Amino acid sequence: MKRKIALLIGATFIIFSCGKDDVVTKTSPYSLIRPDYFPEITYPLENNPITKEGFELGKKLFNDPRLSLDNSVACSNCHVKGVAFTDPQHNPSVGIFNQIGTRNAPMIANMAFQSEFLWDGGVSHLDFVPVFAIENQKEMGEELHHVVYKLNKIPEYAPLFKAAFPGIDTITSPYMLRAISQYMLLLVSDKSKYDRVQKGEDVFSASELTGKAVFDQKCAACHSGALFTNYEYMNNGLDLVFMDVGRELISALASDLGKFKVPSLRNIMLTAPYMHDGRFKTLDEVLEHYRSE
Amino acid sequence: MKQLNFFKHNKSFYSVIFLTLAIFMVSCKKDSDKKDPGNIEIEFDNIAVVNGIERQLTLVSPGSTDYGYTNGMSQTFNINLLRYYITNIKLEGPNGEVFTDHVHVSSSGTEGIYLVDEAQPSSGSVILDNVPAGEYNKITFTVGVEENGVTEGAAGGNLDPATCKMFWNWNSGYIALKFEGQSNVSAGGTTGTETLEGVTKGIAYHIGGWKTIDGTAFVYNNKTMSFTFDTKAKVEKGLQPAVHMVFDVIKLFSSKNLIDFTGNNNVHKPVDGKPAAENIPGAFAFDHIHQ
Repeated sequence: MKRKIALLIGATFIIFSCGKDDVVTKTSPYSLIRPDYFPEITYPLENNPITKEGFELGKKLFNDPRLSLDNSVACSNCHVKGVAFTDPQHNPSVGIFNQIGTRNAPMIANMAFQSEFLWDGGVSHLDFVPVFAIENQKEMGEELHHVVYKLNKIPEYAPLFKAAFPGIDTITSPYMLRAISQYMLLLVSDKSKYDRVQKGEDVFSASELTGKAVFDQKCAACHSGALFTNYEYMNNGLDLVFMDVGRELISALASDLGKFKVPSLRNIMLTAPYMHDGRFKTLDEVLEHYRSE
Repeated sequence: MKQLNFFKHNKSFYSVIFLTLAIFMVSCKKDSDKKDPGNIEIEFDNIAVVNGIERQLTLVSPGSTDYGYTNGMSQTFNINLLRYYITNIKLEGPNGEVFTDHVHVSSSGTEGIYLVDEAQPSSGSVILDNVPAGEYNKITFTVGVEENGVTEGAAGGNLDPATCKMFWNWNSGYIALKFEGQSNVSAGGTTGTETLEGVTKGIAYHIGGWKTIDGTAFVYNNKTMSFTFDTKAKVEKGLQPAVHMVFDVIKLFSSKNLIDFTGNNNVHKPVDGKPAAENIPGAFAFDHIHQ
């Protein structure tokens, strides 16, 4: 009888210690808050719930140049935090072996509210955006399977992946991509003066109101809503002969030749150079282009 | 003493046991005239019909000038790589039997999405389990991964973009069927997974296109097809019939549209793959059943 009790106590201990382990591997949820004047969240958060651990891992991956072929180019090389995750130095951006790219690094902000990514909208899920940059010969030049191989060889990553995705034993690409998405999803731009005015916390000055009147009349047809884009693909008259076919590559529609996604104008003072190929260095040049069209 | 008390005060405990037993007995009785579900194997066998004879495929190294096959335009070719996705398998029988294979996509793996790779012969064998007992004489399946393979987000298993070699990063989504090889009539300059840039006389057909964009010419190239068997596959516990399907690579280039290897032989976008995609249903055929 005593032995039975001892066994029972032993079993209880095992059960309890199992429970304790589960507690250790629990993740802490982070929430993505949508201002009520923003469009709906398009990202399927139920498939990839954001956690502190996932966000931190995504941030580390975003800043890790080992995701590129020659270990020289991290996502953050061309998407620099201080300038709304764009590239202020290079025009267009520079990839591995100092190769010059073809398009201007777009801002990373409010990704949770968009459904098509890149200048041509070819990528229709945020998880797959990094695959484009990693495998692009002029950007990070790697192969996804080799990035996964490298991450499995770097000792510091295994515990971080296990903390973010409890229960996994090896690092595979879906976990890497979902972690990077968690980081990007929380890069929300909603603290500008425009936002304060939307929330009723501030008012536009007289000159800002004058600017708004002109903007509403001349620009807001495309740069509409709280994200300042209608998500469409437009030819804004930059060229008659197209070096880059743009949206036509994706849609296979002749009328999409030379069209690019209407970019968000959030953080616009920080995101120079402008246009899909970064041809304009200043906002004045941008306005001059539209004025003289 | 304590133990005794427990049972004394828990008459309901006995009632629960009794009820459970009763339920078990009733359900057993109900099931007795119905057979338990079983397995069925669907085998996808890639072949080439040469001079009227079905032959197994021979893969050669990239750059090989040993051309073992001839397309519908009398152009010779060989094969480095052949891979395709089979999804949404459905079986039907003459007495109302229906089995729909469960498709599920997640970061830890995939269910119901099969990647047939000629370089890995076992990949052609798809075993479906928990198929309701009965007779089946019709199969329906899709070649290609539907849009939910993308909208669910980065996935593992057969859809892992790092390992499947079937992912288009520039136009995110999965290639339905990938063929690479050489043809004596190709001018070269093609690129692919194996048929790399320096290879002369390469031909590469990466056939995909899963997205429908309203008002555009975006091409949906996944193909869903049905085949009726001349005999019936009998499924029940303990039986595992094998349905043998064949995919004739010659017909990939000739069943509906004649594919000319001298041009449009470096196919990497949906619109370019449309003629070959239209040949896919005609390249598959039901062959036989091993009961």
